[in-house]
Amino acid sequence: MAQINRIGEGLVDTSRTLSFTFNGDTLAGHPGDTLASALLANGIRFVGRSFKYHRPRGIFTAGSEEPNALVQLRTGAHQEPNTRATVAELFDGLTATSQNHRGSLKFDLLAMNDLLTPFLGAGFYYKTFMWPKSFWEKVYEPLIRNSAGLGRLSGEADPDSYDKGFLHCDVLVIGAGPAGLAAALTAGRAGARVILADEDFRFGGRLLAETHEIDGADGVDWAEQAVAELAAMDNVRLMSRTCVHGAFDHGIYGALERKTDHLPKSGGKPRQVLWRIYSRRALLCAGATERSICFGNNDRPGVMLAGAVRTYVNRFGVTPGQRVAIFTNNDDGWRTAHDLAEKGVEIAAVIDSRDGTPPAAPHGAMVAMGSAVTNAAGRHGLRSLTLTNGQTIQADCLAVSGGWNPNVHLTCHQRGRPVWRQDIAAFVPGGDLPVGMSVAGAAKGDMTLSAALKAGHGAGNAAAKDLGFTASRKAAPKSDDEAADVTAFWQVRESKTRAWVDQQNDVTVKDVKLAHQDGFRAVEHLKRYTTLGMATDQGKTANVLGLAIMAELTGRTIPETGTTVFRPPYSPVPIGAFAGRSRGKDFRPYRLTTSHGWAEEQGAVFVETGMWLRAQWFPQPGETHWRQSVDREVTRTRGSVGVCDVTTLGKIDIQGRDAAEFLNKVYANGFAKLPVGKTRYGLMLREDGIAMDDGTTARLAENHFVMTTTTANAVSVFRHMEFCRQCLWPGLDVHLISATEQWAQFAVAGPNSRKLLQKLVDAEHDISNEAFPFMACAELTVCGGTPARLFRISFSGELAYEIAVPARYGDAMVRALMAAGEAFDVVAYGTEALGVMRIEKGHAAGNELTGQTTARDLGLGRMVSKKKDCIGNTLSEREGLNREDGLTLVGFRPVDRATELKAGAHFVVKGKPVTTENDQGWMTSVAWSPTLGHSIGLGFIQRGHDRMGETVIAADPLRGNDIEVEIVSPHFVDPEGERLRA
Amino acid sequence: MPDLTLTAQPPLGGFSHDFGGAKLAEIADHALVSIATPNGGEKKLAAAIKKSYGCALPRPGQSTLAKDGDTRLLGLQRDQMFAFFAHDGDQALAAVANKLGDAGYYTDQSDSWVMLRLSGELSWTALERICPLDLHPDVFAVGDVARTMMEHIGAVILRDGKTDFVLMSARSSARSFLHAVETSIRNIL
Repeated sequence: MAQINRIGEGLVDTSRTLSFTFNGDTLAGHPGDTLASALLANGIRFVGRSFKYHRPRGIFTAGSEEPNALVQLRTGAHQEPNTRATVAELFDGLTATSQNHRGSLKFDLLAMNDLLTPFLGAGFYYKTFMWPKSFWEKVYEPLIRNSAGLGRLSGEADPDSYDKGFLHCDVLVIGAGPAGLAAALTAGRAGARVILADEDFRFGGRLLAETHEIDGADGVDWAEQAVAELAAMDNVRLMSRTCVHGAFDHGIYGALERKTDHLPKSGGKPRQVLWRIYSRRALLCAGATERSICFGNNDRPGVMLAGAVRTYVNRFGVTPGQRVAIFTNNDDGWRTAHDLAEKGVEIAAVIDSRDGTPPAAPHGAMVAMGSAVTNAAGRHGLRSLTLTNGQTIQADCLAVSGGWNPNVHLTCHQRGRPVWRQDIAAFVPGGDLPVGMSVAGAAKGDMTLSAALKAGHGAGNAAAKDLGFTASRKAAPKSDDEAADVTAFWQVRESKTRAWVDQQNDVTVKDVKLAHQDGFRAVEHLKRYTTLGMATDQGKTANVLGLAIMAELTGRTIPETGTTVFRPPYSPVPIGAFAGRSRGKDFRPYRLTTSHGWAEEQGAVFVETGMWLRAQWFPQPGETHWRQSVDREVTRTRGSVGVCDVTTLGKIDIQGRDAAEFLNKVYANGFAKLPVGKTRYGLMLREDGIAMDDGTTARLAENHFVMTTTTANAVSVFRHMEFCRQCLWPGLDVHLISATEQWAQFAVAGPNSRKLLQKLVDAEHDISNEAFPFMACAELTVCGGTPARLFRISFSGELAYEIAVPARYGDAMVRALMAAGEAFDVVAYGTEALGVMRIEKGHAAGNELTGQTTARDLGLGRMVSKKKDCIGNTLSEREGLNREDGLTLVGFRPVDRATELKAGAHFVVKGKPVTTENDQGWMTSVAWSPTLGHSIGLGFIQRGHDRMGETVIAADPLRGNDIEVEIVSPHFVDPEGERLRA
Repeated sequence: MPDLTLTAQPPLGGFSHDFGGAKLAEIADHALVSIATPNGGEKKLAAAIKKSYGCALPRPGQSTLAKDGDTRLLGLQRDQMFAFFAHDGDQALAAVANKLGDAGYYTDQSDSWVMLRLSGELSWTALERICPLDLHPDVFAVGDVARTMMEHIGAVILRDGKTDFVLMSARSSARSFLHAVETSIRNIL
């Protein structure tokens, strides 16, 4: 197809031709084109169907405010719906398809919705689909959802990658039109670090679309020179294709940079980067958006905004029609007429809603002052217009200008409210701007070029001066003040047919009237009731129009009617960009123990505990069920010796003259008198008396302790202790540093553990039972001089140790332990066997330390020393925590030993119904005990200690089984603790 | 019985790669020892440091370089600094303690951190993608140090040369950290 509407060069490179397809038709365009300009060049006006009524729609604007020309770009997994053709840069091989139709674009089956208009007005679903109630979720909603909506997702994972980043500057200039360029120039010349961002792929803003002169030169050339000057400055960063989409606290702005969207392939690089920009000052130079006028069938393809029509002609060398009419309420509309006529486009008529003497009209154009368009005809594209006097005008394009709305959006992101300016019939930024922001140019209501240049120049200098830079003395660029008078005119009352306010969400004047009639008159109600301004374009061309019509209906002024709240993002941001790199296995970091590589070699099965990957068990050939592996690991550990990596437990190095006193305060039990060379089990309470964490702390020297915490609480305990140290007792000489990562630590458990360790611990260190009894600790050397720490502590209940070496030796150490243990048939065990053995021994762990249980509940009540104060001591005495019928941690075993216990079951007295009132506690942990040969459990039950031997029901209505269980001591194995002292 | 001598292993096995414009390499020949200032002992520690290292106590966010041009003291927070110095072996703690005696509290941190050196002109562009801090050469000068987060991972960043940064992060998540830094470089090339 030939580019029948290409009438000139504009700013596109016509020396090169790009090939693209739209709905399968191969078309041509040029570098510098957008998809919209290329479609118009090829004579294509009808590009999509509307949201609700499936009305034919064309290209309405030339920018990011586009409500209609939404297409699907690319194919397969790369397909992206709802892309605005007006901002999609043309590239060779681009594939676009129209969206939101059943059947072809021209013959859309759902176009019948347009005939059902009387039933589909605002709020129709609140009224129409009330009955029967059950139909709403199952029938009506799916039906409505299926027929509404815009483009379709590919249904495949997004194959592109996205990135994020952080930028810092003195002055962020948002928008690179005349005001933005002038501001960036002055701030840059003053020496400030400047970021100039613009969503367009070329800097210049409206200058690219106009025929203005600046400082005696062509406006486009001036912009080019300005960009060249800025590019040469080290302190200026130019960011095109970058939309600043949100103003956040403390001068932080969100911006989306489109990195490869304009290229056929991303080449493995991130498609888009979501920037967080930290600015000291921000200058909003976001320009203005033109608005339409409501008249009958004003959504026909071919009806466009006047400024956009001018953009296509001037910037892209494309005329949107062969015979163009203009409908305006302001002087700017006339500019379109002149620019088009200048390029040889036939002007059918200029219709101005204002009375009075018309400005000079282009030659041959009919002029109608005080007139308006009542209707537009041509279903798939504009053919003719009817005026208020009944006259019909043949035209294939109507350029409409209802005035310009300053782009105040970012000024409102922190609840700032815009204010109405009657002289330009538009909202301008209010006084309550985000900290550090100022506004210049059309965004502030400086509606002429000369005013915008002056304001930008001044704002750049002011920001630089404010930050202590010396402003440059160069004068502001000069240009003429063009005519910019406007008289508010919102709707043509004489229109008999539907007139669109919000084209993307299919909201008509009638809908606004209906909202008024139904009592939804406040702007926020109007928005929710009609969906005005709620689509992907956020009503950029519709909002003011909608509320102005509401104002007319209620007889209030526009400022009295007010505006809805603008929230980020200014322009749509793909969810993929928010996710950034956080996808798949990179969703979060992972932590590995130093024995990870060795465990992988052993075929270990890993489990995530927090961010750690820990070996859960080590399957051996022939084992087909995890229980076989775990039973073997437990049996062999208890029978001889086992090794387990316990590096993940938190380790906190505590030093200082007052370290002992500090520990005495944070632990419930006493630590002041712990001798050097000894380890003690410690229980920490929260301030409210609830158990917080437990672990062991070893005294390595008079003023030096090392604490272990549970894996899960490693960070929170450290944070808690830092708080205590810095805020509660700043006078104490205590210093904390995490040593979790410094040491690779292994539990060596079982009757042969000492013998195994004696092979590794250097001979000068005596670790016999006498020299190194239960709860001893020492700094020593292993394997011929490697520094190590040895603790004789036991989680399994066996004779056991934990040995720590600097992490660099972790891998070597596990191998050495396994090699040295060969003679004892050593076994490596994972977290599952660790859990089984601690349940057999009756040790509390995360399942019991739930943040709701007290030391008393855990059977550790006597550990809360009353001889001293500690965090949580006083509040642990609260009556409610010391009830007679309070919970106690006890053991449970099934009466029928063959049955399997389930954690989460609740205890009920035999014979009583399973109801909440009869709930006496719950099962916290269960395991199959290979030592005992049956299932065992730990749990909390009221008055547990007094009820040893009683049989109760462990009720599990969720999984549907009730088991008779006997209350027993939680210490299933070696209750006297003989093994661990052996 | 096999030889049970333990061999040290750096967290990333000595990773090193030149991307062209940016080079990323694991630092395996340096030690890191934290030095805490005892309450009321600042003067004594400052004097000991002056005597042994010939430099001043660093302020948080800055570092000072010892006279020998090797040991760099990183000021990380009130009352805490890290000594960063070339060291082979596992006796880093003693190396510091022998010099400063009882003037401070020392904890060996050499094995707690993975240390990466990022160097080259493109370092800044790569770091923009993960480091929230303003690293502009005028703002983050040679010798400056900071704690920060990169891709949700806690990190310390030190600028110790014109185009040189040392990045430190927890040893256990060394691979995630390397991936984060490497991706940042690859994404900007």
